[in-house]
Amino acid sequence: MTLGEPPAAASTPDPAAGRLDRTRATIAVGPLLAPVLARLVGMHAARAGLTVDRLDDAVLITDALADCAADALGASHLELSIQSAPGRIELRVGPLRPGAAQRLVDGTALPDTGPLMGLLADEVRVRVGAGGDEILLLRVDAQPSGPELASAG
Amino acid sequence: MTDLPDLELTLPARAENVGVIRHVLGAVAETLHVGDEQLDDMRLAVSEACANAVIHAYVDGAGLMEVRVRARMTDLEISVRDHGGGMAPRTDSPGLGVGLPLMATLAASMELIAPEGGGTEVRMRFPLPHESAGGPPRPAEHGTVTPGTPPAPGSADDARPRPLAESRERHP
Repeated sequence: MTLGEPPAAASTPDPAAGRLDRTRATIAVGPLLAPVLARLVGMHAARAGLTVDRLDDAVLITDALADCAADALGASHLELSIQSAPGRIELRVGPLRPGAAQRLVDGTALPDTGPLMGLLADEVRVRVGAGGDEILLLRVDAQPSGPELASAG
Repeated sequence: MTDLPDLELTLPARAENVGVIRHVLGAVAETLHVGDEQLDDMRLAVSEACANAVIHAYVDGAGLMEVRVRARMTDLEISVRDHGGGMAPRTDSPGLGVGLPLMATLAASMELIAPEGGGTEVRMRFPLPHESAGGPPRPAEHGTVTPGTPPAPGSADDARPRPLAESRERHP
């Protein structure tokens, strides 16, 4: 897990710029967020060939994300993009206001365990754009990596 | 209150992504307590619109399709847009030519729009059950709606969004 990556030279991606290799979603923070995120991510994870256990981990991450979005974002909508490739799925949440990415991660913390995202994702990274906006990058691989993930079962 | 739709998806206009949209519509229907029959109609109509984007919009290459979902007090507005060449007759069309009539039949209303910037947008509205995830209409707040008596289609109250988005805007 990597957190607090220094500011990147490149600015955050333009949310209006469409890319042909990913799905971009803007979802109202409210009752739609968790079920829509779960289905989107579940579908992409299945397409990426993740096992049922890893697919479940990815959905658990989105559930946690949806759960703490209202408090962490301070915005009415959550923007994210999903990219799947054989053996992995990657979520880019944002652009977010400064500090919101860390609040999202911290918001998923469990007592005595730490942030759920760090336990379940193979990579948790915050990219800071030139304007200060942040992108929270979460990657789930078909095979979990790292001692933390192994202990998370 | 923001003017953003409750849900906006931008995906590559490829056949496999029509399934993603159908799957997501299931979540929308579940949240809004839409019945199975109505969900089937929504899925079929939206699938047709997406299939049009996949098959017809980008004849010479790849492109994106955008799906927007906006919940109002009495109906759900779903639009499917592409950025292709726009509506044009095709003598070599692989379809049966029943897509548009099918959408018009399944939706309570359907509009075909040539949006600024090119492409085609299909905008459909589907009636919603009275009860919703955001709770029943709030007569005390708005004054003109009583539970069980939906506002007339096309009225100002009918166009009010359902409370699916957090209206607060906080600056930490």
